[in-house]
Amino acid sequence: ESIMSRIRSFDYSQKNAVLVPVAALGVGGMLLYWLRSGRKIETIDVGDGWWGAGERPPKGKEDTSIRPFKIETSDKEIEDLHQRLDRFRFTPPVEGAAFHYGFNSSYLRKVVAYWRNQFDWRKQVEVLNKYPHFHTTIEGIDIHFIHVKPSYVPHGQAVRPLLMVHGWPGSFYEFYKIIPLLTEPAKHGLNEGDVVFEVICPSIPGYGFSEAPHQKEFDSIATARIFHKLMNRLGFKEYYLQGGDWGSRITTNMAQMLPQSVKGLHLNVVFITIDSLGKVIGTMLGAYVPWLVGYSREDARRLYPFIQKNIYDVLRETGYLHIQATKPDTAGCGLNDSPVGLAAYIMEKFSTWTDKSFLHKDDGGLESKYSLDELLTNVMIYWVTSSIVSSMRYYKENFSKDTRIHNRVGVYVPTGIAAFPQEIVHIPRVWAKDVYKNIITYTYMPRGGHFAAFEEPKLLAQDIMQFVRKVERL
Amino acid sequence: SSLAGIMLLEVFLVLGTLLIYFLFSKKNDETLPFKDGWWGRGQKPETKEDSSIRPFKVETAEEELSDLFRRLDQARFTEPLENSCFHYGTNSVHLRKVVSYWKNQFNWKKQVEVLNKYPQFKTKIQGIDIHFVHVKPPHLPEGKAAKPLLMVHGWPGSFYEFYKIIPLLTDPASHGLGDEHIFEVICPSIPGYGFSEAPHKKDFNSVSAASVFYELMLRLGFNEFYTQGGDGGWLICTNLAQIAPSHVKGLHLNMVLVSKLGLSHLLSVLLGRYFPGLFGFQDEDVRRMFPFLKKWLYKILSEFGYAHIQTTKPDTVGCGLNDSPVGLAAYILEKFSSWTDMEFQNLEDGGLERKFSLDDLLTNIMIYWVSGCIISSMRFYKENLQKGIGAQKHDKLTVQVPTGIAAFPNEILHIPQAWARKKYTNIVSFHFMPRGGHFAAFEEPELLAKDILQFVDKVEKEQLWKKK
Repeated sequence: ESIMSRIRSFDYSQKNAVLVPVAALGVGGMLLYWLRSGRKIETIDVGDGWWGAGERPPKGKEDTSIRPFKIETSDKEIEDLHQRLDRFRFTPPVEGAAFHYGFNSSYLRKVVAYWRNQFDWRKQVEVLNKYPHFHTTIEGIDIHFIHVKPSYVPHGQAVRPLLMVHGWPGSFYEFYKIIPLLTEPAKHGLNEGDVVFEVICPSIPGYGFSEAPHQKEFDSIATARIFHKLMNRLGFKEYYLQGGDWGSRITTNMAQMLPQSVKGLHLNVVFITIDSLGKVIGTMLGAYVPWLVGYSREDARRLYPFIQKNIYDVLRETGYLHIQATKPDTAGCGLNDSPVGLAAYIMEKFSTWTDKSFLHKDDGGLESKYSLDELLTNVMIYWVTSSIVSSMRYYKENFSKDTRIHNRVGVYVPTGIAAFPQEIVHIPRVWAKDVYKNIITYTYMPRGGHFAAFEEPKLLAQDIMQFVRKVERL
Repeated sequence: SSLAGIMLLEVFLVLGTLLIYFLFSKKNDETLPFKDGWWGRGQKPETKEDSSIRPFKVETAEEELSDLFRRLDQARFTEPLENSCFHYGTNSVHLRKVVSYWKNQFNWKKQVEVLNKYPQFKTKIQGIDIHFVHVKPPHLPEGKAAKPLLMVHGWPGSFYEFYKIIPLLTDPASHGLGDEHIFEVICPSIPGYGFSEAPHKKDFNSVSAASVFYELMLRLGFNEFYTQGGDGGWLICTNLAQIAPSHVKGLHLNMVLVSKLGLSHLLSVLLGRYFPGLFGFQDEDVRRMFPFLKKWLYKILSEFGYAHIQTTKPDTVGCGLNDSPVGLAAYILEKFSSWTDMEFQNLEDGGLERKFSLDDLLTNIMIYWVSGCIISSMRFYKENLQKGIGAQKHDKLTVQVPTGIAAFPNEILHIPQAWARKKYTNIVSFHFMPRGGHFAAFEEPELLAKDILQFVDKVEKEQLWKKK
């Protein structure tokens, strides 16, 4: 009452003197709120972490040494493997199953026979050791990585640092064929040598020779931070990033976290969810009027029939994701104890994710794109390091939280996307633009699937180089 | 505004479709056709199938045990994350203890004798050997006939789950349950599980299993019988009641799921907590179903990964489990933990021994191990669910056979009677059980036996099976 009478008692000019600034403040405030909300956050917080066993040690400085590392094996390891292969208990497939029920056990028997009698792990270890390996401790755990420099650099040639990150069920080994194309392109007939890289391929903590985190909640953001620290420790201030599968998520987080350190981000897999009404409507209309929604003809070809390709196929292929994101310790237990079980589980992905039509083949089409030596070497990395369970936990740690933060923070660094035709889900450029604000190149690759570096190293290398060339001309 | 217009149009379209579906969908009372098949290897032979019933005994050998022990000795474990209990799945620290018991104290030879205490048989149906336990009452009062009762297990269980409840049903008087209704119990193993041969052909689903079990009961000379089931057994027994309603006197279930979800279900989920009476919910229904997100959506997401991968890639996921007994144990034990009580996930030992003995749990696991059936058991999920949930013909048909439902409080998902009624049109009894989870016969045999008895009593007294 008294306030109201007080206000009424102001004369006109005094009222203006109060009301106008209040109104301005009000409108300004609303404007500011509207500008900020729905506006994406600028960057992901860097944060910090400790993943070692037990309590974080007090203020002592972490050992930052970079220690050379060589993969080793022993008679005992090989004999143990052979014994397990010998006592594998086989279940015959149903008649006509091909790869529709998962990995066909009749073909698996042939793989096991090769593994037991012809696969030479000692020789493969030498192959793995042909590139220099290192370990360094970051946030309490040992990070493994290979670091390959060009053997010969002509005077004045700039060598660009490139961090390449693998995914699941892959490893640093996926990059072994592409590395020489990037460190010595001229030798492989790729270009005149104007774009040359030194390549760093780490193992995600919990994968291969990187120590597994001992604490909960180790997600892609923690990984991104650790890889930034790794690159800094190696003396790099600005670098290129490349990734697929989890590597795509991690490198994207790296670009969202410290954009000033990322000269360019190249991806062969893009994770975008259909989380807005606009996308839903766009998807439905896109089948009939793709040009209206911004789809190219190739987009339409790869996206439709929509339900079949994006819902049915995805449901069929994501059982592993569902169980790993919820019960990783259960799912991985038997696989760490049975090398054949591990091989079936991992190699099934190398079949279906390379080409969906491989489901209809009795041998899963595996040897049409890869050699058994290559496939088994990747499996052996999981086997000898006993890392299958920790590799699966990564799914739980990443899917448990609100994942929308990834899509709400824009990626402003120059981005290049290589869209491979047999990738599990095709993401058109118009969708990618939602998150990746600065797409410099978007290429429809002529062939290849999920494991791009492993399967089509030359195509991928060429796309990376033409992307980097465009970035540097800017 | 054009966007708003499109949105409005969409909403109308969706509502219109739902309305039409709701108005025009009608209950389908047809019977389900019997599904004949040939599941043996190769071509079906010209000769008539051998229909003899052969006695069977579970056997073991030194070689089997020493192979098992070697694998247990060389098991490779992965340390759990600090303070993870059973939230990431089976905790390997506790698993080590189980494996130690398995190696040093568990006596498989003794357990085989336990398994053999009930008469078991095998008979060939539709090309494959079907294993079953057949227990007759030890004594029948003058003038009384034993009622045949078919009890069907699920995954990852086995016929062994019924070993504690069988005596309560074949000899109720000795267990203080009266002698009004005495049963002879038949517990088969689902083809692909335990000692039943696995189908060699694709497409062996619940209707196939129901048809095979129907043939089994006819072969045993039973024209009318009761049937009881949970988990996979729920589905098979339901199908059996749909195939042969004139032969199934009564259907008793300790688990129910519904696959036809419509507008009324949606509304009852949104409003049922506030207006339970309007949707036919009782207080206990509300207590068990809400908060909906936690008790349904999150639970389905967190607990059904196994179903997702088994429905799509059974041969892949089962491969390692048939090769690593520890892996097999971890996979199966996880379910005996969560599905008995979801709270057990917060315990370091998963609460496993609170309701079951290690001997019982390991005996069930050994059935999967010695028969090498884990992959074929998982294929059952693919054959039933690969086209999607609710996509099969039997999903659209109702059940008119007198039905009794025992709703256990810790069952994975609670289906209220209001929903079950739409499919099971003749529910004679529906009881909220005071305690117990998914493996009802294994965990609470007395409670389940009592509920079966009261159900059968109702059906018999009111001669309900004749009213169809």
